[in-house]
Amino acid sequence: MKSIMLYALSTCPFCKMAKRFFESRGIAYNSVDVDLLPEEEKEKTVAEVQRISGRRAFPVIVIGEEVIVGYDELRIKEALEK
Amino acid sequence: MSAEKMLCPVCQVAFLVKEEKIPGKKIICPVCGAVLILEKERDFWVLKRPKDMTPEEEIRSRVENFARLRGYYFNEMKEPLIEALLKKYERYGDFYCPCKIDNIPENVCPCLETRQGSVERNGRCHCGLFWKEA
Ligand code: SF4
Ligand SMILES: [Zn+2]
Repeated sequence: MKSIMLYALSTCPFCKMAKRFFESRGIAYNSVDVDLLPEEEKEKTVAEVQRISGRRAFPVIVIGEEVIVGYDELRIKEALEK
Repeated sequence: MSAEKMLCPVCQVAFLVKEEKIPGKKIICPVCGAVLILEKERDFWVLKRPKDMTPEEEIRSRVENFARLRGYYFNEMKEPLIEALLKKYERYGDFYCPCKIDNIPENVCPCLETRQGSVERNGRCHCGLFWKEA
């Protein structure tokens, strides 16, 4: 099983769709609503998101080694099957 | 009265206003779709955001105008995004992009990357509010 990390914002509809994607398939995943983190942790997490995705926009989904920027169901499925 | 360039307080772009200047007149920003009101401040004409619209009316009219100006369409993501934009307004004081962490002027909806053509490049804006056939 590959580890999955979903970086999300509580206000972002595509982030909710990503959560639903994993939940409806019974796929275990970790996620964090970055905007709801305490200030210091938020800055650290945003810096991490920016480092791996080159952006400060959400969602960013990490599946194993793969980084998927934005909600892209096809790429999520491919990354899961690899 | 000749045409004059005036600054949009939403997207910060100056555009040509050809209409006759009447205080209280409604003008739509051709760049971002914002509904604006002409006002006279001392000797200068300025454009202000409307005070007689609720936040929901303001953002709805803005995105409708922007979509019409650009030939974009909406889908079922529109309502969740209007809700999200209103949440951002409540929390941070303006209609900042629901999918970006930085609540800064360039991320006010329609955000800079969208105004610079990201919908043409990707078929949709980052959040999925504005769409265009590829
Ligand atoms: S990405 Fe779309 S919804 Fe988000 S601010 Fe830009 S135009 Fe608005
Ligand atoms: Zn404007």
